[in-house]
Parts: sequence; structure tokens; C-alpha cells
Amino acid sequence: MAKKINIYQVAYKNLLRKKTRTALTILGIGLSAWVLISLLGFNRGYESALNKDIDNMGFQVLVTAKGCPYEAATLMLKGGTGLRYMKESILADILKHKEVERLTPQLMAAVFDPNKGENGGINAYLGVEPTTFPAMKSYLKFKQGGWFTDPTALEAVVGYEAAELEQREVGDKMLIPEKNIEFKVVGILARSGTADDGTIFMPLKTVQKIFDKEGLITAAGIKVNKDANMTELENKLYDLPDVQVVSMAQVKSTIMSLVSTAKVMVFSIALIAILIAMLGVINTILMSVLERYQEIGIIKSMGAMPWDVFRMIWTETVILCLLGGVIGIGIAFALSKITDILIRRLLPYTPTGSLISIDSRLGFITLGVVLGIGLLSGIYPAWRAARVRPLESIRSEGD
Amino acid sequence: MAPDTNALEALHLTKIYKRGAEEILAVDDVSLTVRKGEFVSFIGPSGSGKTTLINILGCLDNATSGQLKISGKTVFSESTCLSETELTKIRRRVFGYIFQKFYLVPTLTVYENVLLPFAFFQKAEASADPMEILRFLGIDKRTSHRPSELSGGEMQRVAIARALVNKPEILLADEPTGNLDSKRSGEIGGILKRLNEKEGLTVLLVTHNPALAKVAGRTITLRDGKIAQAA
Repeated sequence: MAKKINIYQVAYKNLLRKKTRTALTILGIGLSAWVLISLLGFNRGYESALNKDIDNMGFQVLVTAKGCPYEAATLMLKGGTGLRYMKESILADILKHKEVERLTPQLMAAVFDPNKGENGGINAYLGVEPTTFPAMKSYLKFKQGGWFTDPTALEAVVGYEAAELEQREVGDKMLIPEKNIEFKVVGILARSGTADDGTIFMPLKTVQKIFDKEGLITAAGIKVNKDANMTELENKLYDLPDVQVVSMAQVKSTIMSLVSTAKVMVFSIALIAILIAMLGVINTILMSVLERYQEIGIIKSMGAMPWDVFRMIWTETVILCLLGGVIGIGIAFALSKITDILIRRLLPYTPTGSLISIDSRLGFITLGVVLGIGLLSGIYPAWRAARVRPLESIRSEGD
Repeated sequence: MAPDTNALEALHLTKIYKRGAEEILAVDDVSLTVRKGEFVSFIGPSGSGKTTLINILGCLDNATSGQLKISGKTVFSESTCLSETELTKIRRRVFGYIFQKFYLVPTLTVYENVLLPFAFFQKAEASADPMEILRFLGIDKRTSHRPSELSGGEMQRVAIARALVNKPEILLADEPTGNLDSKRSGEIGGILKRLNEKEGLTVLLVTHNPALAKVAGRTITLRDGKIAQAA
């Protein structure tokens, strides 16, 4: 039989006295840890998903008609509404700059399709040049078929998700609602994890003709030379009449500023959750100290120094926070997909990749934060316990 | 120099409590000596000052005036007033305490409760064997039981074992049978007597119970904070 017992064993067993209270406190800490790690994971995941989306665009600068910068950023990533047009002749002016390596014009058109989904939806068609666009989007792979070769053909390449939704295959005919024009599917893209998955690509000239926008484009994507000075190029492009220049960095900062409000909100919620958990820990341990007032006095009469008692109570807090933290982090790993869905509902724009990026490093950071909060929360109850004088507890024996 | 044969030596101890403007004289000029290996009981009506006196003798409290020596060393005098930490250092080396309530940790087994003082302090010199103490007290078959599974008498025996595990020089027992019936009280009295006679332990016992007080070799009766009778 063991001839020793240590403070940590005593502290652990103390927590077993009121099992329900201990369990509820651990649950509270666990929920806070879940919120915290999910938000930290979101903070990292959102930015990396956004970077991936921007990198996958294939170009670093987008020139659009002058308008709202938010709209331009959305257009760059998702298509957007309220389209503005520029003259196609602007392309020649852009190409004059030595910093421009390649250029691809785009014409976005959107039509309401009453047969889409339960209540109808918008079909987006992106007119692109078969000669310049595929070269710029070299990462796009085909599930079936290939790019259209004739710049005026009534043909389309359908993104992976759009094809899944419409149940389309190469060779199928599709109809443009309102226009009653039929076109043929010549290619289905493999999943890219970008906005291209939901897009229907058609030759630029075909889209211009169908939607009566001949000689007009909505945007021009520019791939810049390796050693080019971006700021200098942006300044030069701004000299062009009525254009807006959106760089990759601008898009990123615009989107981040859009989500910053939502981030402040969720971080505030997390802070409140952590504060509530902290108060819960203080309350649980303080109650436990007050209930054991006389017992702590007796322990001190046995020879326990104030620091011994402080350590014992502090250990109880650490055990609660450690268990709560581990449980919360486990929940966060298990439910990261659900958390992803919930956060997507809160934000105005979400990139296509995973929004929550949690790994073991983040798990350890969260555990460290939770333990730090636990140590902080435990100071007051532990200090109260350390101050108990044996005589006071013995005097209150008859109480 | 010959070793001091006195376990405790109190000279003119006085304790005054203040309750608002009122001053209460709890211990009034008490002088006494307890020799090593002696068994002394303190008896007297409620409010006679016996618990206050034993708290001072047991370094749980400081006197207002007077002098207290433990094993010849002055721990309290007009010029020496020990801090709580210093009192703790003396308590952990010299005293074992038993109280009316047992204060066993409900989530620890009997054996773990007996070991509890070791979590905070263990004398460098060999401490007592917990199993030997439990055997001596007749509860060695209950080591894995929780306090809730024990009778009052058994719980007090566990509390005694816990007080003995660090081999104290003096055992202070303040109303140790207050929660027990007369049969169990007699058993606890017998245990204290055996500890004194067989182990040579100095025992100070505070009780209301005249029958229990008789197990001691010397009985001191207190009244109004003073020693009324010493026999």
C-alpha cells in the first residue's frame, strides 16, 4: 500500500465531492474553449481560404468600370450584380504598359432562371476569350471535354458544381432563359474549389452578341510581369478614363474589412463566453473553499503552510480548466464542419475553401489560454483558502 | 546540558478577547507545567476557558500576555510573538490534534485520510507506519473504506491515526468524544490512555465528561479562566 499522498491527488479527489457541479463547470469551460479555438481557427482559415481564392484567379490585377470598390472586389471573386461596362478598346491601352505580361477580357452577364431551385435563381455567364483565358487559368482541369475553339460558337464550358446542379454532360444542350437561345456543352470542369466551379463560361464574342453588349466588357484580368512594380502599374492604369483598378492586395483588404465587423462580433461573443466561464470557475472553487472552511483549518493545523493550501486549491482550478479545455478542443475538432456552416451564415462573403483551420498547434495554444484563464480565476479562491486560520475554523466548529 | 523534562511550561498566561468595546477575559493568569509523557485533562463548565487555554498551549493562538515554553524553548513571551508561519512550523513538529468533529476528507479512503498530513509535511526522521497505527487503533480492516462507511467511533479513530502519523510529541484532544455515545467515549478514552502509557505520548485532553477526564493522570479544573483545582 502506498505510503505517500500528494497535494495533486488530494486536489483531484476534492473535485469528486460535488460531481454534478464539477461536471457543469468543466462543460462551461469546454464550451468556451470550443468557441475560442473555432474563432482562432476561423481567423486563420478565412484568410488562407481568401488567399487561395485570390491566387486561383490567375491574374493579379483586375480593371473594371468605375464604381463601388466593394462591388469590384465581389465581381473579381464571385461575379456580382449591378454590372458596369467598359469599351473593349481599352485593352489596347492596357497592353501598352511594359508591366503587363498577359491580358484577358471578360464580360459577365446574369439572367434570372425561374426553373433554378425552388424559387428560381440567377444564372451567371462569363464571356471569356478562348485564346487568352485558358492560358491564364492553367490550373483548371477538365472532367469531360475541353475549351471551345471557335470564338463565336454557341458553346459553353460548365463549372463542376453548375454541371452537378443542372445534371449536365458534354454534348447536352442548354437554354439561356429570357433569350431563348440554345447552346451546347463542350466541356465540364473538374472541381477546383474556387468560384469557377459555379460559373458557365462562353466565348466572349458570343456573350456580347447574345446580350447586346458588342464592343463592351465588364473586366480585364491582368497577369503582371515577375519584376514589375505593382504600385507603378496601378498608378498608370488609373490614368485611363473611367476605370477602377483592383489589385489582389486591395481585394484582400476590402474583403477583410467587410468581414471585420462580423469578426469583432464573434470575438466579443467569445470574450463574453470566456468571462462567463471564468466567473463559473471562480464561483465553483470559492463555493468549494467556503464549504470546506473548517476542513482547510484542520489541514493547516496538521502543518500545511498557506502556500500548500494555495497550491491545492489552485491545482483544483487547473484540473477543471485542463479537462474543460481538452473536451472543448475535442468538440472543436469533431464539429469543425458544422461550425464552418454556422459561420458562413454570419458573413457577407465567404471564400470557397474551409473557413475553419484547426490543427494541433492551435489546440495547444487554446489549451494554454484556457489554463492561463484558469490560473487567473483560481487566484482569489486559493488566496481566500490560504488565509484561513486554524483557530477561526475550530471556533466556528459549533456553527 | 540535561534535556528538558517539561513538555510545556506556561507562566501567567492571560488571554483577553475584544468584542466591540467589551473586553472578555478568557484565560486569567494561568501557570502550569506539563511533563513529557504526562496525561493531563482539563475540565470545567462551558465558558471556563479550557478550549482557549489548550489553543494557546497548542500554538493555535497567541496569548495576550504571559510566557509559554515548549520543550524548554520560549515560543511566546512579552518580547516574542510568533507569526502564523512560525506557529505552523511548531505545530507540524510538536503537535497532533483531535477535535470534536472528525473532518475526514469524504473522497479519500481511511488509509489516504491517515496519510493526508504527509501531503503537506513529513518529518525528516522516520515517521510512524500508518498501518501500525491503524492496527493499534483496531481499524486496520477498514483501510479502503470511505468515511461515510464508518461509525462515529471509527471516524474518530481515523482522526486519531491522522494526528499520530507524523509522530507528534504532544497530542491535543479537544472534546474528542463530544459526538459519541458513552460506550464509544470510553473506547476513545482507553485509546488515549494506551497511547500515553505504551507510547509515552504527552496527552492534553479537554472534556466536559468527568468520567473521561478520570483516564488522565492529572485533572485540572478551570472556572472563569482560572485554575480552580488541580488534582
